[in-house]
Amino acid sequence: MKVGILSFQGSFLDHSKSVELIGLTPIFIKNESQIDDLDALIFPGGESTAMRKINNYNGLFNQLDNLIKSGIPTLSTCAGTILLASEVIGGNPTIPNIDIQITRNAYGRQTESFEGSVSFYSNEDIYCFIRAPKITGLLSDNVEVISKHNSEIVGVQQDNIVALTFHPELNNDGYYLDWLHNFIKEGKNVRSF
Amino acid sequence: MKIESTDKVKKGLAEMLKGGVIMDVVNAEQAVIAEKSGAVAVMALERIPADIRADGGVARMSSVGVIQEVMDSVSIPVMAKARIGHFVEAQILDSLGIDFIDESEVLTPADEVNHINKQNFKAPFVCGATDLGEATRRIAEGASMIRTKGEAGTGNVVEAVRHMRTITNQLNEVISCDENQLVALSKKYGAPLNVLEQIKELNKLPVVNFAAGGIATPADAALMMQLGCDGVFVGSGIFKSGDPAERAEAIVIATTNFNDPKILGEVSKDLGEPMVGINIDTLSDEEKLAKRGW
Repeated sequence: MKVGILSFQGSFLDHSKSVELIGLTPIFIKNESQIDDLDALIFPGGESTAMRKINNYNGLFNQLDNLIKSGIPTLSTCAGTILLASEVIGGNPTIPNIDIQITRNAYGRQTESFEGSVSFYSNEDIYCFIRAPKITGLLSDNVEVISKHNSEIVGVQQDNIVALTFHPELNNDGYYLDWLHNFIKEGKNVRSF
Repeated sequence: MKIESTDKVKKGLAEMLKGGVIMDVVNAEQAVIAEKSGAVAVMALERIPADIRADGGVARMSSVGVIQEVMDSVSIPVMAKARIGHFVEAQILDSLGIDFIDESEVLTPADEVNHINKQNFKAPFVCGATDLGEATRRIAEGASMIRTKGEAGTGNVVEAVRHMRTITNQLNEVISCDENQLVALSKKYGAPLNVLEQIKELNKLPVVNFAAGGIATPADAALMMQLGCDGVFVGSGIFKSGDPAERAEAIVIATTNFNDPKILGEVSKDLGEPMVGINIDTLSDEEKLAKRGW
């Protein structure tokens, strides 16, 4: 199975490592010639302002929007989640597909970046939050909370999309990889783990 | 549970910058141009390297006012430079909440023997290197990111190429060596053994490695990416050129699309005047910034 990873900039190599570890094929996508026959999509961490700018030239977001709406499993982390949010505080909506309000750099600068305990579906582990955004509002009943740090919502699922504010791709722990494998394999029927 | 400024969080920010362009800026106005052009971070400086080179004298950490002005003007990470070995300048930058500290040879060194012990800071550090020994010594001191030194402020990419090729060749030697050779390689390159062991295990440097020093055109940026760099610093190349916004954007597009000569040609069209370059052979050893650091 082919997993397309948006590769303008950011943690795309870390995500490709996760995809390789579960025996699937990562496809680095930068333009529309690379998006045929994808079985899943990943929007990596990085800088959302830079990704938006690069897209002005590479022109890929409209096609990715269609792919997400066709129902293929889609994962986003950190900046990727900012791209998919329908409302952005301190930025603009880019490919709005998840009904959440997100606030950029909500914890502060890099000196406030941290490793913290996170519940992710039925598991608990420690993950990195790097100049992370916060999910500051759930805007429809279709959004299910699937991940929390203390009492904060740090991950949601809406149909075929799972959006996180932290970086499981920097861990590649067994639970995450098993989840990722199932999530991608279930394809258009994807539900929670 | 919540722990700030761990090694993983520091290296993690460098991971998020990969494939991107970090631009030198001297005020808020330039920082905004850089952010709008697609920079993943900016480096706040009082003078860009070409001017430091021209003006001479002692180059120090930027004024706190300039750094804060830049931090307040953009939403992307802000880096700033401290002199080699000047741990108090680094303490000040750390207290400002800077996102990354560059212990940089572009400034006049404050210590001719020691670099800063970078483990004790909340902010991650990036350091320059000309070869594997230098890179691994900086990593052992706690650097979360490495960059080639190149020869800053010249607009001449030849030194950055030399440093990247040297690091790559020496890395390959470590990766392909028999484990019995590791101690000898550690001695040969002046490279701490524990970092060589990490390299052997990961089959790569344990931190991100960017290109810096002399990158002036979209083609220069793509060249460094094709040589295996994880991203690009552009110093004097942007704001010493005829049309900074356009050149900045072209270098960003070139860095993402580094393998596509057609796109590289397209973004290189109608860019206006690049910065005037300096032939490195005309510089004396004292004028070469890459000779600083140990």
